[in-house]
Amino acid sequence: QKQVITGTITDETGTPLPGVNILVKGTAYGTTAGVDGAFTLEAAPTDVLVISFIGYKTTEVPVGNQTKIAVTLAEDMATLDEIVVVGYGEQKKALNTGANLRVKGDDLQKMSTTNALQALQGQAPGVQIASTSGQPGEPLKVTIRGLGTVGNGNPLYVVDGVLTTDITYLNNADIESIDVLKDAASAAIYGSQAANGVVLITTKRGKAGARAQLTFDAFYGVQKVARQVDMLNAREYASIMNESAVNSGKSIVFTDEEIAALGNGTDWLDEMFVEDAVTQNYALGATGGTESSIYSASLAYQSQEGIMGGRGLSYYERYNFRINTEHKLYKDLITLGQHLTFAYINNNGVGVGNQYNNTLRGAFNTSPFVPMYDDQGNFFDNSDASWTGGSEANPYAEMVYNNQNRKNNQRVLGDVYLQVEPLKGLKFRTSLGLDYFGEETRAYTPEFKLSIYSFNNVSKVDQYMGKGRTLIWDNLISYGFDINTEHRFDVMVGTSAYQYDRSGIWGIKTGSALDGLKYGWLSNASTVLTLGGGPTDRGNAEGPLIFDEQRLSYFGRLNYNFKETYLLNATFRVDGSSKFDAANRWGYFPSVSAGWVLSNETFMQDQTWVNNLKLRASWGQVGNQNAMAYQYLTPITFLNVNYIFGPEEGKGALVPGGYPSRLGNPDLKWETSEQTDIGFDAQFLTGKLNVTFDWYKKTTKDWLITAPVLATAGALPPVINGGNVKNTGVELAVAYNNSVGELRYTVSANGAYNRNRVGQIPTADGIIHGSDNQLYNNALEFYRAENGHPIGYFWGLSTAGIFQTEEEVQSYRNSEGSVIQPNARPGDVRYVDRDDNGVIDNGDRHEIGNPLPDYTFGFAVSANYKGFDLSVQASGVAGNQIVQSYRNQSSQYANYTTAILDRWHGPGSSNTIPRVTDDNRNWTNFSDLYIQNGDYLRLNNVTLGYDLSNLMKKKYLSQVRLYASVLNVYTFTKYTGMDPEIGYGIDNGERDKFSSGIDLGYYPRPRTFLLGLNVKF
Amino acid sequence: CSDFLDSEPVTVATESNFYKTPKDAYTALVGCYDGLQTVWAEGVSLPVGSEIFSDNSFGGTGASDQFGYQMIDEFDKLRSPADQNMFNLNWIAYYKAIYRCNMLIGKMDQIEWGTDPDGLRATYESEARFLRAYLYFDMVRLWGSIPLLTAPSEENLQQADPTEVYKVIAEDLKFAADNMETVTYAAQPAAERGRVTKWAAEALLARVYLYYTGYYGQNDLAGVVSKAEALAYLEDLITNSGHALVSDFANLWPAASLLNYAGEDNIETVFAIKYTYTSDYSGNTDGNHWMVMTGMREQFIYPYGNGWGGATVTKSLWDAYDENDTRRFATIISIADEELDFTNQEGQREYTGYYNKKYSPMVDEDGNSIAVEKGGFNFMIGQYQDYTSIRYADVLLMAAELGSANAQTYFDDVRRRAYKDNFTPLAVTQTNIMNERRLEFAGEGIRYWDLLRQGVDVAANAIATSVSVLNGGVAADKKILAANIQLTKGLQQIPYTQITLSNNVLKQNEGW
Repeated sequence: QKQVITGTITDETGTPLPGVNILVKGTAYGTTAGVDGAFTLEAAPTDVLVISFIGYKTTEVPVGNQTKIAVTLAEDMATLDEIVVVGYGEQKKALNTGANLRVKGDDLQKMSTTNALQALQGQAPGVQIASTSGQPGEPLKVTIRGLGTVGNGNPLYVVDGVLTTDITYLNNADIESIDVLKDAASAAIYGSQAANGVVLITTKRGKAGARAQLTFDAFYGVQKVARQVDMLNAREYASIMNESAVNSGKSIVFTDEEIAALGNGTDWLDEMFVEDAVTQNYALGATGGTESSIYSASLAYQSQEGIMGGRGLSYYERYNFRINTEHKLYKDLITLGQHLTFAYINNNGVGVGNQYNNTLRGAFNTSPFVPMYDDQGNFFDNSDASWTGGSEANPYAEMVYNNQNRKNNQRVLGDVYLQVEPLKGLKFRTSLGLDYFGEETRAYTPEFKLSIYSFNNVSKVDQYMGKGRTLIWDNLISYGFDINTEHRFDVMVGTSAYQYDRSGIWGIKTGSALDGLKYGWLSNASTVLTLGGGPTDRGNAEGPLIFDEQRLSYFGRLNYNFKETYLLNATFRVDGSSKFDAANRWGYFPSVSAGWVLSNETFMQDQTWVNNLKLRASWGQVGNQNAMAYQYLTPITFLNVNYIFGPEEGKGALVPGGYPSRLGNPDLKWETSEQTDIGFDAQFLTGKLNVTFDWYKKTTKDWLITAPVLATAGALPPVINGGNVKNTGVELAVAYNNSVGELRYTVSANGAYNRNRVGQIPTADGIIHGSDNQLYNNALEFYRAENGHPIGYFWGLSTAGIFQTEEEVQSYRNSEGSVIQPNARPGDVRYVDRDDNGVIDNGDRHEIGNPLPDYTFGFAVSANYKGFDLSVQASGVAGNQIVQSYRNQSSQYANYTTAILDRWHGPGSSNTIPRVTDDNRNWTNFSDLYIQNGDYLRLNNVTLGYDLSNLMKKKYLSQVRLYASVLNVYTFTKYTGMDPEIGYGIDNGERDKFSSGIDLGYYPRPRTFLLGLNVKF
Repeated sequence: CSDFLDSEPVTVATESNFYKTPKDAYTALVGCYDGLQTVWAEGVSLPVGSEIFSDNSFGGTGASDQFGYQMIDEFDKLRSPADQNMFNLNWIAYYKAIYRCNMLIGKMDQIEWGTDPDGLRATYESEARFLRAYLYFDMVRLWGSIPLLTAPSEENLQQADPTEVYKVIAEDLKFAADNMETVTYAAQPAAERGRVTKWAAEALLARVYLYYTGYYGQNDLAGVVSKAEALAYLEDLITNSGHALVSDFANLWPAASLLNYAGEDNIETVFAIKYTYTSDYSGNTDGNHWMVMTGMREQFIYPYGNGWGGATVTKSLWDAYDENDTRRFATIISIADEELDFTNQEGQREYTGYYNKKYSPMVDEDGNSIAVEKGGFNFMIGQYQDYTSIRYADVLLMAAELGSANAQTYFDDVRRRAYKDNFTPLAVTQTNIMNERRLEFAGEGIRYWDLLRQGVDVAANAIATSVSVLNGGVAADKKILAANIQLTKGLQQIPYTQITLSNNVLKQNEGW
């Protein structure tokens, strides 16, 4: 006879678990736990209750004569029933044969970052994530298993099935999970898009039959610069200028009295940074569902002020709306659902680009003599200064005047899908995905005068609006069936059609009737400088980039397993792309992988030390087609091409012309990446210790590159296929969780080693040369891609100390006895004459640094005790080098960092930092003086929280957690810059994007102190 | 299904659907002129560079600038070893312009000319070939040995024998001179001024003849043009073109004449590279980007605008003029003689007290840049004065030099304008012609090549100097050694970047 049973379900910390399923074993009868974890149902004493909840171990409770049951569910750290997201589907993790990893959204949210990828930093072995700038909203550089291309190395992002290139619009609170597909076999189902790896993002969705849950998450924090570089003050600067003049054969510039009368002058770095820049986030969520409909919705606001210039100059804010629903119709025959996220983003920023577009550089290069304000409190006009002839400008004022801009963009990403399941196991799914954006930028340059070079005589308004959309129509048929219950087959075939287009309109006018960014609209200004529009971006001097792309794809997958012990997976994808000539349009991407679950074998059954052990091996080919449209054609450009005939001047008299601007390459085709992966997943000590290991070899060949051509070719270089790179590496992730009394803790560590070596490059000299003019005005090339070296290695001279005396200069000879540096003076750098030809020249330049880390690693500790929780997360890299170039070496007057105080100034005074001279002769050759080791370990996040719900004991509150966090707590490094995490590299668009680790005055990542709140109803 | 993947760009044409109609051909031809307009937009401009190489000017520039301009002035690599790419942007721009010409010339046969009653094909082809010749002549003088392309090619080409280059130049110019219609200056519509004419081709052919036969010690122009033919072209020009001297020398130059300026495209202009003030930093390159180099260092004094103080004029040039020669004040800004209150000696390197007046930026009485007033982006790229490459005066002096029967008359015509009422006759000798050429063309980028075509030794001895200048306001010695010019044969540095890109197929000039 049945009796009424009441019960409560809690997790191991005693927190009630709502939404847990309770089922009478062997029946369809059951219930779901309420908000307070309580449930009521009828059962007979002989019944067994099956209590299950995602993320927890399923527990069976015999009813017996109990009428009140208290169940504690143990969290399942690596449950074998865990589902992972794979391309175009899901799979039991236990049966997965690829190298992929999953990070839960909750773990990302805990990191309190503006960008989910930043939260992922250090949590995924083999995935290197580096900021390109500390400016709010700036993108991150994500490199999976080593840089495989000289072009765009970012992975493909797939949000709820929609392919996209950017996920910065997402709020962490909206993310259910992130799955990273690292090996080619896992990624190959995405074919031509997957060469750099695939990141699958699943946003939160409701649960069938679960009660509604409301959540509210908030944090508020302040940020400041974590470490600042010290520049010379006015007295130090004057002394160094004196010494430099004397070393250059001139007389001193400042007398001792003059120097003594100087104060400290202006500390420009101090002026650039603000204290207490605010970062904040508020997210409201609701999830729930009935047996036939589920939903999840959210509303979020996030903002972050920049530590450079503050809110007015460097700022990011975002509004997010999301609603995901799914409905079952006709008794589960049809499933209809949709994902929809809308984001509205406002941001503005200072220059974080190359030396000409880097706002911070002014602070490094302006002397401390320039005052900030004049008597009236206006920015100081330095034009009449005697020092440097008035050529120095107040860098803070330049930042204010030159960075008056506002940007906003809107993003709608989502899909509508319909699934029909006419027979059990046979599913047809069709979906239409949309990724739409609209963007608007405005900039205003006021009239100003700060120096003889830094001025603007006529106010300028710049306005741009653009929009674009991607449509993806996917159709899938899948069928799963068993033969003899031991052979399991899952088959899927599908097609995908992809279409992308965008257009924009832009204009620049001068002579604004009203002053100020607020009035910076085209209608307010009088004279048209530029006006344009088209299915392109707004372009640069080389013309705009055309965005237009269609793809058509066919793909299929076969999964087979025998008793869930022998696993086989094969995929094949065919992609056709409009980016290539019809003859080279189609690309074919196969993969195969296999797994063996040793722990299922009878010979392993007696083992107690290992609970689960799976060996995996995979091979696959994936592609990359990251080239702009129409590269196979030779375009005739008409943009900005004209000549003036006749006596009239000005725009009206220009006669339009045209010319072939770029060489076409009809043979252009896919870039291909081939990868082999061998690894294992293991659980030891009754599940307390989890270990995952992978070895891989990834060869990327037929790069899409714009190798520089000889000037005699007469046009911009074509995109060609050529060059290859091999990345080999190992990855290891170890996690240990245990409890001592009520203390539960997890300690995890992961690390990866990667070796990057370029193979043949099909240019005359086998080199892809980096740009010049990057480290300072007129600087020469200093990074390259070349056979036998890592991509973007630093190319320059080795030094061997400083000449201490004239005798040392004279005795520094090659094997034939000629003096190698006859023009050197004591205090100058001794360069190594590697080719022993008696002069210092290109033959002596070689690899003096590698920007790519050999090792990347992360550590995390988390612990719970009663209502308290503590987490610590750290990450780092090792084995890489950074080029630091803060000073414009073409100027004798640029300020120095205080490192120059240790310079050579007499025999024995220094053997590392050369003397100062007006012509900066020791710095105009790129050498290892510029190079520093980039190893670091950063304590990213320390968080302490307490759940007040235990104290409050309100039925409707399941969690009220207060926490305090510090982000970017401390960085262990020998690097002398403000931040060793330098994702920045020279970006010359499609042509040259392969450098990294270049510190030209890097906007550092802030240190943040914040307080947060999580409430669950 | 495959239709879904077919698409075509809509904001550019492509090589396969362009070069079809005479209109396309004209558009492509303007593209070639645009190429010519941009060869000096960056890097070192030949008008300024040639003055610096010569005995007319020093390198100048700012007191704390790098020493690149001293390096090219003194033909001394050690003056600025880090400057390995002074001319790289020019090298690239020249070959870009040549590529455009080669492409158009190669498409002549495929263009649907129809009956072509106006002889468009001959005109366009002549113009394109003239432009190609003009570009190659600059390059081959500057660098000596250069890769030669008469059709587009992506090959890694060795440098051609200079004679091969001159042969192409001579044939191109001869083609233009022989095929262009005879349209007098007066008959040419104003809106077409600046287009290449038969007269421009004839004049340039003579200039090339004189340079090639002089510098290389040859008797004819690469077997294509003899001395008599070169002279005959000039005589044709003098007789039939309708070109003439502007009556007042000063009126040729805006800063020397102000309201009396004869204007661009005046009757004396046989060929000019035309500029206007619509340059910006978004890809429009229409302006005279190099004139800012020669302006006074960072100080304007009405009517002379500020600039970077490059190519400071030597005292020896000032002293070369007779005081009765009206060309002296029309050519040179003399700080002392014009009682200008120039105070920025501190900022100026190799200050001599003299600047180039023919190509000087200008300001109004309030000190505002005229170029900016007109609508220029700024005073640096907004300058719009045309570069007058070939004047009728040059035609007269070349004809005299080539032994025209009217040599004395031509010589006197040029001198009479210069001296006006103070004219006294002078015999037309080679020495007197060369001296007169210096006085007539100083500041126009001609002197250096006139020196070099008399032989490297003549040039070296004329240019070598040791004088005192002010560097940042402090007296300093300025030395140019004849030996450096002899070592380099008066040629300049080939950009190292290009040598590297060619995997050392390109060979550097001696001394660089």
